[in-house]
Amino acid sequence: MSPTRLFQGGLVLIAAALAVYPVFGTGYGVRALLQLFMWIALAGSWNLISGLTGYVSFGHVAFFGIGAYTAAILITNAGWSWPLACIVAGVAACGLALLIGYPCLRLKGPYFAIAMLGLNEVLRALVSYFEGLTGGGSGLSLPTLQASVPIYYVMGVCAAAVTALTYVIITSRFGLRLMTIREDEVAAEAMGIDTARHKLYAFLLSAVGPGIVGGLAARDQGYIEPISVFPLATTITMIVMVLFGGKGTVWGPVLGAVVLFVSQEIVWARFPYVHQLLFGAIIVAVVLLMPRGVLGILQIKYRLPRTV
Amino acid sequence: MNVVITPAMVGQVVISGLLSGTLYAMVALGLALIFGVMRVINIAHGPMLMLGAYATFFLYSAFGVNPYLTLPVSMAALFVIGMLLERTLVFRVVDAPELSSLLLTFGISIAVVNLAQLAFTSDLRAVEFLTGSFVVGPFAVSKSRLVAFVFAAIITAAVFVFLRNTKLGKAIRATSQSRDVAMVCGINVGRIHLITFGFAAALAAAGGTLIAVIVAIQPEMGQIWTFKSFLVIVLGGAGNYPGALVGGMLLGLIEQLASLFLTTQLSEAVAYVLLVLVLFVRPTGILGGRST
Repeated sequence: MSPTRLFQGGLVLIAAALAVYPVFGTGYGVRALLQLFMWIALAGSWNLISGLTGYVSFGHVAFFGIGAYTAAILITNAGWSWPLACIVAGVAACGLALLIGYPCLRLKGPYFAIAMLGLNEVLRALVSYFEGLTGGGSGLSLPTLQASVPIYYVMGVCAAAVTALTYVIITSRFGLRLMTIREDEVAAEAMGIDTARHKLYAFLLSAVGPGIVGGLAARDQGYIEPISVFPLATTITMIVMVLFGGKGTVWGPVLGAVVLFVSQEIVWARFPYVHQLLFGAIIVAVVLLMPRGVLGILQIKYRLPRTV
Repeated sequence: MNVVITPAMVGQVVISGLLSGTLYAMVALGLALIFGVMRVINIAHGPMLMLGAYATFFLYSAFGVNPYLTLPVSMAALFVIGMLLERTLVFRVVDAPELSSLLLTFGISIAVVNLAQLAFTSDLRAVEFLTGSFVVGPFAVSKSRLVAFVFAAIITAAVFVFLRNTKLGKAIRATSQSRDVAMVCGINVGRIHLITFGFAAALAAAGGTLIAVIVAIQPEMGQIWTFKSFLVIVLGGAGNYPGALVGGMLLGLIEQLASLFLTTQLSEAVAYVLLVLVLFVRPTGILGGRST
C-alpha cells in the first residue's frame, strides 16, 4: 500500500471511530473531544488568513465572540433553533470581517494586525454597553437544552470542513496567489494579482468558521458573558497551535491543536499564568528557531508533499 | 441623549485633551522611533509602559520615594531592559518578513504581561500622590494630570532637540531614512537599532511612571497603549516623528470630546472607529508622507 493510501485509510478509520464514540464514550470524553474539534476549527481558520497570506490577525477571537452573541440572541430573544442561529452567526462574523477587512487589507504593512489587536476590546466594550440586547456585563443565559451529542457532531463537521477547505485552497490557484502575496506582495501585484481582493476573500473565509463555532460554543455552554467569549487568551491559543503545528499547511493546525489541547488539559489548566507565559515563550521560540513549525520541518526532512 | 454644550465645556475639553494628548504623543514617539528605524511594530511597547508604572509603584510604596523622582530610575531600568530584548531577540527579525516581527513582539508582550501577573499578582495598585484638582474659573484640572503634562512636554521636547542636534540623534534619523545609506556613511546600524529600542522603552516607561499617579496599576494596563500609540502614529503619518505630536493631540482631543457625549465604555470604541476611518480615508495620516 502506498503511503498516501495508508494516510487516507487512517483518516477514514479515525473519522469512523470519532463518529461512533458518543455511543460508547463518557460525557467527559464527548465534551473534551467537542472542545478539541472547536480548537481545530479555530486554529484552521486563523491559518487561512495568517498562515496563507502572512497578514497576522491578533483578534480572531472577535469572530468567535460575535458568533456566540449572534446565536445566543437569536436563540433566546427570537426563539430560533440552534442550527439555524449558528449559520447566521457565521454570516454575522463574515459581515464584521468585511467591515474591518475592507479598509485595513487594502494597505500593506502592520495596519491590519493592529486593527485586529484593538477589535476585540472594542467589541467587548460595545457588548457590555448594549445591555438591552446582550445582557451587558451580567451575560446571557440560553434556554436549557441537552444537546451535547448533536453539537459534538456539528463541531466535528466544522473541524473537518475547515481542514478540507484549507486543502482545497492550498491546492488551488487561489491558494497559490495567496501564498504569493505572503512571499512577496509587490511581485504578486506585478503579476497581476488583485492583492487587496484576495486578502479580503481569505479573511472572509477565515471569519466564517469562528463565527459558527462561537455560536455552537454558546449553545453548548448555555451561558455567555463578555469576558467568556472575547478572551485574548483564545486568540493566543489559536496562534500558538498554528505556529507550533506549521503555518500555511493543511495538517499543521490540526497537529498543533491536538498536541497543545491535550497538554493543556492534562498539565497546564492548573497553572493559568505559567501556561500563558509558556505560550508567549513558544511563540518567540517558534518564530526564531523553527518558523515552519513541526510539520514544516517534517515536510523538508521526509520530502513530504506540500498538501500534508 | 441631550447635552447642552457651553463654551466652558469646550474649554475643558481642549484643556483635558491637550494634557492627555501630550502623554499620548510621548509614548507614541517611542513606537514611532522603533518603527521608523527598524521597520518593526513593537507590540510589547504597552507592556514596557506597564513595567515602568510598576517600577514607580514599588519605589514609592517600599521607600516612599516621590513618584516623580522615580522617573529617571524607571526610564533607565527600561532602557536596559529594552536593549536586552533587542540584543537577544528582536534584532533577529529586523530583516525578516513582517509576520515574524509582529508575532515575535506579540509573544514577548504575552510573556511580559504574564510574568508580571506571576510576580506582582493581578491586584490593582495605586500610587496615592498629588490627588485633587486646581480650579481656575470654570475649569478644573487634575493636579497629577497637569504635572504629567509638564513632564511629558519636557521629555518630548528633549527628544526632538536630541534628534535634531546631536550626532547620535542625526544618526538615528539617517538610519530611519535609509539604512543602506546610513551604513555607507559609517553609521553602525546595529548599534543604532539597539539604542533606539532602549530609548523607546524608556519613553514608554516615562509614560508608565506619569500615569501610575493617575490610574490604577495592573499587569494588563499596557496593551491598550500599544494600540493607542499605533493610532497616534497613523493619525500623524507613519515614519513622521513630528506627526506623532499632532496625532497625540488629536487623539486626546477626540477622546475628550467623545466623553462629553458618550459613556466611558463607548469612548474607548471611538479611538477604534477613528483608526478604521483614517485607514479608510487617508491611510498616509493627516500630515502625510515620511519626513524626519
